[in-house]
Amino acid sequence: MTVRTYTVIGMACGHCAGFVTQELERISGVTAVAVDIERDSVTVTSERSLDIAEVRAAIEETGYELAESP
Amino acid sequence: MHALDGIDPEQFIAGFFTSFMNDLVRGGEDVAVVVDRYHTPDIVQIADGSRMDRARLIAHARPARKHQISARWEVHEAIADGDRIAARYTLHFQNRKREGRTEVCFFGRFADDGRMRQAHMLTRLVPVKAGDAADAEAGVQAGSGQPATETSGLGQAPS
Repeated sequence: MTVRTYTVIGMACGHCAGFVTQELERISGVTAVAVDIERDSVTVTSERSLDIAEVRAAIEETGYELAESP
Repeated sequence: MHALDGIDPEQFIAGFFTSFMNDLVRGGEDVAVVVDRYHTPDIVQIADGSRMDRARLIAHARPARKHQISARWEVHEAIADGDRIAARYTLHFQNRKREGRTEVCFFGRFADDGRMRQAHMLTRLVPVKAGDAADAEAGVQAGSGQPATETSGLGQAPS
């Protein structure tokens, strides 16, 4: 199991968190997503090590921005 | 004279958000410039307990431009008192991937020139299902006796 936290810019409310969670959960192997709006952070738990490119693509699909890699 | 003086608060709220979104999505200006046109520098918005200052508001606005979000504000009821407005509205939004509706209970304060200074919002994502909208709107209109105000074009912009 892998747990990584990413910084995501632009989330402001529960709906933003929901969109990001929904998109990240589409990635194969992702088992849990936890969003902290106040800290601009998203913690992703997965069964495998995720490629940063697929995480970035999922987040950008929602319109938000991945600020940095863990 | 205050920007809210003599203006129907329902029209003001619908126009404010519609005009802001139009400038944001269709204009070529920097997002910060658009945000500043509609909000004072000390703007604070609290949505469902999450606090947004100017910087966070700008960051939050960028996705709307990127995804060319189409939005429509349906104001069910609104009242104004001095520089304050309380309103209940439904935001209908759509982009290339998803569409949805969010019901918002809004309490805001506006500057003399019509820019937003402060807002508290409680929101609820409304499931999009056939019949929902008609049911919800029928209930509101039965209470107010007036049709809801909808705006999807350019509306009242802050001066």
